[in-house]
Amino acid sequence: MDFGTLAFLIPTLPVIAFVLTLAFGNKLQSRAGYISIVAIALSFLISVLIFLQIYPHGTVEQSAHWFSVLNVGIFIDPLAIVMLLMVTFVSLLIHIYALGYMSHDPGKTRYFAETALFTAAMLGVILADNILQFFIAWELVGLCSYLLIGFWFRKPSAAAAAKKAFLTTRVGDVLFLAGIVILYFNMYTHVLPEVGGHGTVYLLQFKTIFEHLTLIPTDQLTIITLLFFGGAVGKSGQFPLHVWLPDAMEGPTTVSALIHAATMVTAGVYLVARTFPMFIAAPESLIIVALIGGFTALFASTMGLVMNDIKRVLAFSTISQLGYMMMGLGVGAIIGAEAVGFAMFHLINHAFFKACLFLCAGSVIHAVGTNDLREMGGLFGKMKITATTMLFSSLALAGIGIPVSIGAIKLGTSGFVSKDAIILEGAYSYLHFGGAYGSLIFFFGVAAALLTSIYTFRLWFMAFTGKPRQERHAHESPLSMTVPLMILAVLALVFGALTFSPFIHYLETTYENEFFEEIDPNGYIHGLAERGGYHIPEEPIVHLDLAHDTLIMMLPVIAGLLGFIISWAIYHKRLFSVASIGNMRNPLFRILAKRYYQHEIFIELISLKFTYGVLALTGEFIDRKIVDGIIDGISSFIIGGAEVLKKIQTGVVQNYATATVLGVALIALVLSWGVI
Amino acid sequence: MDSVLSLILFIPLIGAALTLFTKTRESARMIALIGSAVPLIFTVMIYLQFDSTKAFLVFQSVEKFSWISNLGINYYLGVDGVSMPLILLNAILCPLTVIYAWGENKQPNQFFALLLVLQAGVFGVFMALDFFLFYIFWELTLIPLYFLISIWGGPNKDYAAIKFFIYTHVASLVMLLGIFALYFSTGVNTFEIPVLLEAFAGITSPEMRVAIFLALFFGFLVKMPTVPFHTWLPDAHVEAPTAGSVLLAGVLLKMGGYGLFRVLLPMIEGLGPYRSDIITLMAVLAVVSILYATFLALAQKDLKKMVAYSSVAHMGYVMLGAAAFNFMSVSGAMFQQFSHGLITAVLFMSVGVIQHSVHTRIISDLGGLADRMPKLAFLMMAGFMASLGLPAMSGFVAEFLVLTGSYLTLPVFALLAMLGIVATAGYHLWAMQRAMFGSYNEKLGEPHDLAFYEMIPMAILVLLIILFGVYPGPVMDVFEYASKIIPGVM
Repeated sequence: MDFGTLAFLIPTLPVIAFVLTLAFGNKLQSRAGYISIVAIALSFLISVLIFLQIYPHGTVEQSAHWFSVLNVGIFIDPLAIVMLLMVTFVSLLIHIYALGYMSHDPGKTRYFAETALFTAAMLGVILADNILQFFIAWELVGLCSYLLIGFWFRKPSAAAAAKKAFLTTRVGDVLFLAGIVILYFNMYTHVLPEVGGHGTVYLLQFKTIFEHLTLIPTDQLTIITLLFFGGAVGKSGQFPLHVWLPDAMEGPTTVSALIHAATMVTAGVYLVARTFPMFIAAPESLIIVALIGGFTALFASTMGLVMNDIKRVLAFSTISQLGYMMMGLGVGAIIGAEAVGFAMFHLINHAFFKACLFLCAGSVIHAVGTNDLREMGGLFGKMKITATTMLFSSLALAGIGIPVSIGAIKLGTSGFVSKDAIILEGAYSYLHFGGAYGSLIFFFGVAAALLTSIYTFRLWFMAFTGKPRQERHAHESPLSMTVPLMILAVLALVFGALTFSPFIHYLETTYENEFFEEIDPNGYIHGLAERGGYHIPEEPIVHLDLAHDTLIMMLPVIAGLLGFIISWAIYHKRLFSVASIGNMRNPLFRILAKRYYQHEIFIELISLKFTYGVLALTGEFIDRKIVDGIIDGISSFIIGGAEVLKKIQTGVVQNYATATVLGVALIALVLSWGVI
Repeated sequence: MDSVLSLILFIPLIGAALTLFTKTRESARMIALIGSAVPLIFTVMIYLQFDSTKAFLVFQSVEKFSWISNLGINYYLGVDGVSMPLILLNAILCPLTVIYAWGENKQPNQFFALLLVLQAGVFGVFMALDFFLFYIFWELTLIPLYFLISIWGGPNKDYAAIKFFIYTHVASLVMLLGIFALYFSTGVNTFEIPVLLEAFAGITSPEMRVAIFLALFFGFLVKMPTVPFHTWLPDAHVEAPTAGSVLLAGVLLKMGGYGLFRVLLPMIEGLGPYRSDIITLMAVLAVVSILYATFLALAQKDLKKMVAYSSVAHMGYVMLGAAAFNFMSVSGAMFQQFSHGLITAVLFMSVGVIQHSVHTRIISDLGGLADRMPKLAFLMMAGFMASLGLPAMSGFVAEFLVLTGSYLTLPVFALLAMLGIVATAGYHLWAMQRAMFGSYNEKLGEPHDLAFYEMIPMAILVLLIILFGVYPGPVMDVFEYASKIIPGVM
């Protein structure tokens, strides 16, 4: 059986679950979640079957006419299938966990309906075979995140956070849309004459675009890819559109886990990976991706240092880790298509450990009833499973490992293996081969690694060690919640070490296979890179021996361990007093705690003062006083003349109606009778 | 059936006459429902038989009788790809409005009769192929809406009704001048629209051609409406009863856009040296409408006025697509008309329900309504999402085609229009947040959620919006063929 024919079911099943849950959920009550769980489990199963069928060299391609010049289709290649597996699997675990977590919420029917749709939308993004369909699913992801962040809509802060998330990502979406519009223009002008009429070729299909990329002028490609990246910046929380993500925790914690691990923020990284050939053919674009990514990695981790809300610390860590992924893609300017492998590998590992971290945080919040780290402490004894799984995933987030390989296996947590690859094989080789701003990008990577380690262990020590700062009756969560934690924690520990080498090699075939060889036998990505003004070394980076500089090789490890020691000293052993530097009198602390005054800049200045206060209210004034004023002036003259008309208004409606009917009849009669 | 268009046209009129003479509310609304729904059956019938491949200015289901023969005036009806989906829109929207107004208590016989007259007038505009007939129907639509506002309207209804009537009537007179100028300067001695359009390019003086074009254009501009001729619309909406607003925004405004496609676009190639100036004028008006109305919507305190301004902005896309003058943008603009008719109806119905159950529409006085009115919140959210251009709903299809198509010929204007997208999402979500979410404002009393007769039309509309957003083919194909045949379209 060809499992590829079932591919359409992967997003369709959760959509059906959405409809069924909405329709029958209230009757099923506490069992409402099972519909979504079964649907997503089946989607996962189909994804596994397709993976087994196409590994290592196959693809699934289906396309049908939609309307006008557009098509709908499915495209599964190595890049898409690893995303499919991760999203369905992680989403499944989060759904199972939510059975317990949401069991007391009166809105759980709506919850499971919306999370199923959320998953479906993300699967739609992954499966899209053309950029417009990608965008459509991408927007539906935005809709679901809006609904779920605002799930507890009676809370004003939740409603505000939902709106903020939608509008901020919308800024990116408009840029993305503009990119698609300009891409269509270029395909229409430069490619359509080459490939012939409509109906057979769909201009927005990825394969059509990749095949004819060389026909599009490079300056246009730069504009298009930067606009695409603008969309990714919004969705994946990169600077400066990251502001929505820390507030997005207003929804249930399981929603945060979905957003941060599986169904939303990775979409931006996936977009850049999906359109990587366009990026590498465009001068400057990838360098900007690397710079923004690296900067975001460091910038977000500085704020993670001072947050007291357990979920907010994790939110900043997500922004920071997404920055690493973008940086990993950006350094593809020098290292080529391997960059996609590195970034995607970190994306997958991050999904495991971040889902685990959020679910652990949920378990803690469930148990102690607060988000505030300062009110926690000493929970280790009461919640051994949560504490242990959280420790494992924290080790992964902080990137703790040993820089030794046994054969193809790197020793270390998942986060170590993939982050190490981005910093060393990625950023360091980029620096080594003379990539623009190479040392700055490398610095971003190492500095962020140190800060990440500090805030990660700060969180863990504050929550689980020391004396309880408040008396609470904390207890371990039920099995439906702890089993997903254990699975994710094990993956966070060992997935990276076990799969690094085959993963990278499999991902390489995304852009190196027969289809691309036919377009350019000398190496498709190499050829495009030269158009973009980049130079990729002949030898694959993973085969290079960069170990001649041991200190540099050790930097990520040192950063990770140093962060652990600093946190241990401050937050566990209390060798220094936090209060002496961590107070509002310290300007550095204040600016971090205030999150660089982003709220003041984005919400109060740009949205309220400028857009509403200046643009909208001035417009209203002009409209009422000037545009309408002129009209009223003219019409008062006419109305004055119509006083006669007014006097015959008797106020009896029957008179009007009779007059109307008679009038119309009379006009018609007079006209026809008078002339015929 | 040879006279199916006349049936569609006259059944509502007969229904109106019967409704007027009913004694009880129950019989009035039942006759009104039948009178407005039977045309839908006939419309679907001709839609199914409609050959979309010969779509523009090749008319089907034609009926033609000489009426005032020495002036060349005929009773001449027919449909092509430009008008067919709009007739469908009118046929769908009117019965749904009647159902929505099921609870109307104040003089229900007259109320429903006026709705049916309105429906007939709009049918007439979309079917008439004779300019004189076209004008009669065009004016006929003013009368029922005038009465709907001035009798069933809000506190400031007299001002709004007079303003609506006179403003649009003056514009119609300018249009009438244009029609006469066209009639006399071509000298073809007929008011048949296809003949006049063909003869237009033959007028020797290019200035005369431009003058005729602008006179007709003005009539359509005010009806759409386009900034700066839009101020009658918010006032009319604020005072009009919900059913009136639904039909005003849902189908009456579409007459202006229809005029663009039916009459003006085929004339573009005949403008000679002034062609590019006129295109630029249209594009400027379009972009100004989109951006200006969007920011004004953001400033509104009254929910209904906000929706009214959003209509102005959305109709700006119709103008932009027409101005860009390629098949993608034009078909997108036509689809925007169809789609906006469905979407705006949901919005006005939502606002009407709020007004009805808590007796205010001032956004800051509302709050947390979703808590007490979950069904309304669900359907209203769907409508708002459609209105802000969410994909998988019909508005996105239209706006995507307009923007993509416009970028091919008017790139700067297309990019400018996109500047409004974030603010559009902004005012929709901000209004939702303040009116529907947060904690419930106890001062509003105990509102009841949607009545069954309110929920049914809204749910049907939302389903149609999603259906045409996911599968726009049935309507889109008709528009696409139609717009490819317009002379000069690339």
